[in-house]
Amino acid sequence: MDEGDFRRDALVHLDALYNFAVYLTRKPPEAEDLVQETYARAFRFSHRFQPGTHLRAWLFQILRNTFLTFYRLREREAAVAEDGVPDWDTPMFHDAPDEDSGAMDAHTDLERAMRHLPAEFRTVLLLAEVEGLPLEEVARVMACPVGTVKSRIFRAKERLRILLRDYETR
Amino acid sequence: MTDPLSDEGLGSRLASELPRHAAPARLRHAVIEAGRPRADVRPWLSAALASAATALVLFLVFLPMLPRIAPADPVQRLVRSVVSEHTRTLMWGARRPDVIPAALPWLTQESGIELNRVFAGDERLTFVAAEPVYLEQRRGIALHYRDEDGHLLTYVVLPAPGLPMPERQRVQVDRWRPALLRDSGFSVWVWKQGDLACFIVSDMISETDLGSFREYFIRVRVATEPVIR
Repeated sequence: MDEGDFRRDALVHLDALYNFAVYLTRKPPEAEDLVQETYARAFRFSHRFQPGTHLRAWLFQILRNTFLTFYRLREREAAVAEDGVPDWDTPMFHDAPDEDSGAMDAHTDLERAMRHLPAEFRTVLLLAEVEGLPLEEVARVMACPVGTVKSRIFRAKERLRILLRDYETR
Repeated sequence: MTDPLSDEGLGSRLASELPRHAAPARLRHAVIEAGRPRADVRPWLSAALASAATALVLFLVFLPMLPRIAPADPVQRLVRSVVSEHTRTLMWGARRPDVIPAALPWLTQESGIELNRVFAGDERLTFVAAEPVYLEQRRGIALHYRDEDGHLLTYVVLPAPGLPMPERQRVQVDRWRPALLRDSGFSVWVWKQGDLACFIVSDMISETDLGSFREYFIRVRVATEPVIR
């Protein structure tokens, strides 16, 4: 693929990547940095992209890896359960407290519930349900088997349901 | 109607109700700029950088083979060696923490220098270790002390017949006139006792510390008497 074509095709996904980054970082300025770094890497390693494969998934994969590389150190890592997802009260990437300066406000129960999910659960829901990526592509982005993706989606929705019911009864 | 909390309902709610955030214009602009090929990259730059890197590697390879630049002044040379020995002790610790005077016969045998009297520490300075040293092709003795503030002091005595004393750096301390020198961030007292050159090194360089360093010199000088056997 021509370098110019690659850049043009990659830019089509800017909004989707930014949206994903906002939900991962919860801070728009950090999301902007993350997306910029993602594109910088994608342009630098464009020769590694295999034409014919899903460019969108490839970009999401770079973004998630960049997020893990740069943000993992900042976050307190909790104990991880066998399937790579921590228990209910121990999110893999500890969410910043709600009063964290610069953090985005949640306007709906759904947003608030998403915010309380561990990052690995939030990520699969964003990729599969919000961005509509096929499970195989989600598995590629998350670097895990499709079965694990299915299990995470199931458990993520379970938690989401509990949280939403809890908000309704308040 | 689909239950909004069913798997399917949650999926469609996520797709439709979760607010989407559009990338700001400045981000789009920044990404486009980052992807634009740079016109000002000079084709010769990579070749020049590669040459420079090769030259640097070759220089580093041959650096150890170059003759070492040592101070011409014999006192400075000895001071530098003594400071190096002190630094080694700071980093790695003394090799033989024997208690004086039990170690004296062994030290004398190893160094050829006899200590008629030796400062074995007091309420301010604690004796840490004694060991033979080999500096500037001379066998000598090093005694290490530590003060209450944790400063390590190294007393070194080496045979140095004919070694001239640096007159300009000599200062009056009690009834003696040792020279106070500086090297690599360390303070060094230097004085002669017969054909022996004596040194005390420490990292005490501030005005306050130098007052204590002066006192330590007196304590060691009064209580230590080395002779060549």
